[in-house]
Amino acid sequence: MKFRFTPCIAILALALLPLLLDPRGYWIRVLTITLLFAAMAQAWNIVGGLANQISLGHAAFFGIGAYASTVLLLKFGISPWLGMLAGGALGGLAALVIAIPTMRLQGHYFALATLAFGEVMRVIENVWTSLTGGPGGLSVPFVPPGFAAYSFKLLRPHAYIALIALLVVTAVFEMIRRSAMGYRLRGIRQNLPAAEVIGIDTTRVKLQAAVISGALTAMLGTLYAQLAVFFDPDTVFGIAGISIRIALIAIIGGVGTAVGPILGAFFIIPLEELMNDLLSSRAAGLSQLVFGIILIAVILWQPRGFVTVFASLKARLSRREAR
Amino acid sequence: MTILEVRSLSRRFGGLQALSEVTFSVRPREIVGVIGPNGAGKTTLFSTLVGLIRPDTGSVALDGRDLAGLKPHKVAAIGMTKTFQNVALFAESSVLDNVLTAGLLRHDVDRAREQALNCLDRVGLREVAGKLAGDLSFPERARVELARALCTAPKVLLLDEVMAALNHAEMTEIMQLIRSLRDDGVTLLVVEHHMRAIMNICDRILVLNFGRLLAEGTPDRVARDPQVIEAYLGRSAEALRR
Repeated sequence: MKFRFTPCIAILALALLPLLLDPRGYWIRVLTITLLFAAMAQAWNIVGGLANQISLGHAAFFGIGAYASTVLLLKFGISPWLGMLAGGALGGLAALVIAIPTMRLQGHYFALATLAFGEVMRVIENVWTSLTGGPGGLSVPFVPPGFAAYSFKLLRPHAYIALIALLVVTAVFEMIRRSAMGYRLRGIRQNLPAAEVIGIDTTRVKLQAAVISGALTAMLGTLYAQLAVFFDPDTVFGIAGISIRIALIAIIGGVGTAVGPILGAFFIIPLEELMNDLLSSRAAGLSQLVFGIILIAVILWQPRGFVTVFASLKARLSRREAR
Repeated sequence: MTILEVRSLSRRFGGLQALSEVTFSVRPREIVGVIGPNGAGKTTLFSTLVGLIRPDTGSVALDGRDLAGLKPHKVAAIGMTKTFQNVALFAESSVLDNVLTAGLLRHDVDRAREQALNCLDRVGLREVAGKLAGDLSFPERARVELARALCTAPKVLLLDEVMAALNHAEMTEIMQLIRSLRDDGVTLLVVEHHMRAIMNICDRILVLNFGRLLAEGTPDRVARDPQVIEAYLGRSAEALRR
């Protein structure tokens, strides 16, 4: 395998970043959330990018993961690390159940069906009070700090865990993209009847992708629960806060490529925070308005996402090197 | 000895009887032409054979295996695939990736890539392997689709108007390719509007009209069949000899 310069520099920079930020500060929290959302958008990218099935219901899996590990910890004292695996299994199962009826849908119909599924999950968690605590939410109980218990005094370990999660999910995405499954998903995306006729079991491949994507998203839910310490159904199953934001990050960054979701997350999450910081005291809703205008401008400027800018920049650099 | 056995195949779309009791069989290594006026059911026949369309009644057997209810990917695995009339490529993928994806039916990615390059050699497109399929000319795209179908290693290959929009030289090349495929043991069914080409390469011709099998036989016999001339051409036999 040949040495790739750009990704190595990027990883190194990301690995050093948490050390430079105030460990009790605000920006390390923003960084951690950014890394987490980049990982979520990358997991979404497996289905949304490779098969072009735009899911607006990924909060369902995220919430399942957050609740699974926290409920297991609260009721049975099980370590969140194990809870994360259980949540991943549950998330994968949920993805399979929802994908069986929805994966034959395309375009807007698939988006709407997954949106509805996310909402159903939010309502269930709100109503199932005995298990989830209902609308009042859940607090992750305090346990003595330690890696095995997934409990830390400072935010720095959370930032590194989120970084590792992003690297793992990105590696999974890249492996799928280059594998037979990646070729098949791209074929399905571009021409379904042609894909079928040349021997691709389209239903099966889409289900596999959905399960992997759902399971990874659920595992990231545990990371969020441990970071946030408190959450309620409307947060982790939120349409705007989770489902649409994940899709938006991938779309703004560039769908179907490994760098896209990372670029998207590092643009959207800090920008959102910055807008809130600068404008929320001026007038109600102003920060959201400006944020929205910026997003519209970006998507008009680069309809295929930041990757196109990134790719042309890289091409220009390598041309200069070749000279 | 038959490789493809089609019995009483019927399919109705709303008020249109697209296929009506179509029965025929094909021997291994045969090149069979399927002709008929527009809307005669040629493309519907191909789509039904590969499992994209479910027949209302009737059966298809490939190499002795009943294909009833099988999805297209299963039919491809047993050994029959088709090309599309209007060319259905993965336009945003490279030519090589288009063909490679088909090779994955029987091989891993690395072997599939080798096979894909062989198939591209075969249709004379190896030099454009790295180009995006959508950037090619129409005749080239038709050849990519042919290479992609070949890469599934079919026993029976259904070609739906692969010679549309080709010039004389290109058509001659494709006809040679079709013959060489037969020499390799592939059985071919060919839908084509270009009469001279079809009369030239086919061992046998099926004539469809309004979803029915109107006539069947050697090119000569079909060309002289008064029923065919009447129904299909509606003019004179001159058109067939042109």
